[in-house]
Amino acid sequence: MNTHHAVPRIWKSAGLLVPGFLLFGVASASAQRVEKHFKVEASPVVTIHNPNGTITVKAWTKSEVMVIATLGSGRVDLDAEQNGNRVDVMTRQITDSVAPDDLRADYQINVPQDSELQIHNDSGAVSVANVLGNMDVETIAADVDLQDAAGYLTIATVGGSFQCMRCAGHIEVNSISGSFRLMDTRSKHVRAQTSTGNILFSGDFLPSGEYRLKNYSGVIELRFLPGDSFDVTATSLKGKVNNQAKLTPPNHSYQSTSKYGQALVGSFNTAGHAHVDLTSFDGTINIVKRD
Amino acid sequence: MKMAAIDCKRFLNQLDPWMDGQRTADAQAHARNCSLCRSMVADLGSITTAARSMAAEEIEPPARVWTSLRAQLEREGLIREPLVRVNETPERAAAAGGWRRWFGAIPRPALAGAYLAALVAVGVALSGPISKRVNDYRWIQGTQDSTSPLSVQLNSVEQTTMASLASSNPVVTAVLHKNMAIVDNYITLCEKSVHDEPENEVARDYLYEAYQQKADLLAQLNERGD
Repeated sequence: MNTHHAVPRIWKSAGLLVPGFLLFGVASASAQRVEKHFKVEASPVVTIHNPNGTITVKAWTKSEVMVIATLGSGRVDLDAEQNGNRVDVMTRQITDSVAPDDLRADYQINVPQDSELQIHNDSGAVSVANVLGNMDVETIAADVDLQDAAGYLTIATVGGSFQCMRCAGHIEVNSISGSFRLMDTRSKHVRAQTSTGNILFSGDFLPSGEYRLKNYSGVIELRFLPGDSFDVTATSLKGKVNNQAKLTPPNHSYQSTSKYGQALVGSFNTAGHAHVDLTSFDGTINIVKRD
Repeated sequence: MKMAAIDCKRFLNQLDPWMDGQRTADAQAHARNCSLCRSMVADLGSITTAARSMAAEEIEPPARVWTSLRAQLEREGLIREPLVRVNETPERAAAAGGWRRWFGAIPRPALAGAYLAALVAVGVALSGPISKRVNDYRWIQGTQDSTSPLSVQLNSVEQTTMASLASSNPVVTAVLHKNMAIVDNYITLCEKSVHDEPENEVARDYLYEAYQQKADLLAQLNERGD
């Protein structure tokens, strides 16, 4: 009897367990969502290390860091911990050999507005909005997109592009083949250098500000408004310098095929000079009116 | 083969005394066995010798430089007639060097400024077309001296680092290979440009920056443990 009754109970258990295992298997093979919250004080430091995937960081008004990770597989895990006013977020590889797609993790992170960010992302994309603290972003192939950022911004990519909308503070960006777009910038210090990428600067020239754009090849485009004021030096060793700005005084400005390529020096308007330095080895430099 | 008693790092720490002639037995043993360090100290020796010979050339600038300088300083009222010191005969004063005769009465800051102006004038005088080929050679040699050891080291690190990239994310690996090729090409073109226009400072800056970029890229790769 016991046996008779026992058999159906075993099958009943098996019937419950098998779908459970199947569900677990499906879950481990597909994306997993993990959410964590950390209470922080003013100006917290948030570090994010992710080999592959998107990182989206937005500022909010809470004194809290919220991390939502969507893990690409069961072979990676979210490793997030708090040390004082610092939150470290990392994608941790659970098994030794992981296919690149399984290593993927996408993050949505909310931080207080005055947070300091340190982000390392090899491939994928990094997007940050409304964070006003210092920022250090390093990527290999990932593109970086900042909006309404301030503070001391240091961006380094190998091949990823960089876009900055309405950024202020101190901007330093370096890349080998990435292109840069600095739009509606309100920074007093911009230094952008890439080897083969293009650089577009369209923003305010603040009094005594310094704007240094440099590449090896590609196009450097500087856009200005009629009311802007700056001293400009533009040199392209092997390429061209095209200028739409009426530079004064005329005897200080020249444009020629000089001994070492094309060069242009001059002042545009006179109040509150900013200093603009544009240098290219083999590329084209365009100084054009902003629409 | 007997191994050197110290490694390259410790040898580099002893570089200053080495260049001053204070060479320990360990450092000498290392230099004998390490071609890279041996080449580096040889290069540094050449640079030091060249610098000394250039400095020696600048000791006696042409007389016209001093004449012109004196006239300028007299116009500005910075120098007066030569002073004859107590216990010094006019003959001895006349026999004294041109420096003291002309500049004895000048306040020290003005003298420093004048000396600087003189050096600039000497520099201008030396940069005439006759010395152009010599200068070109110096620029090329100087650039090669400073970049050759760096190039050797970077290429060695590159081989090791890039070989270990095979197991990494293929997207990242492809980007790294592509960008390393870009930087290498950039270095080649800059080297050509420096060779063609040795005095072109911008080209030299680009060359140094290209090496810096390569070093940064390799450091980044090593840091990430790829």
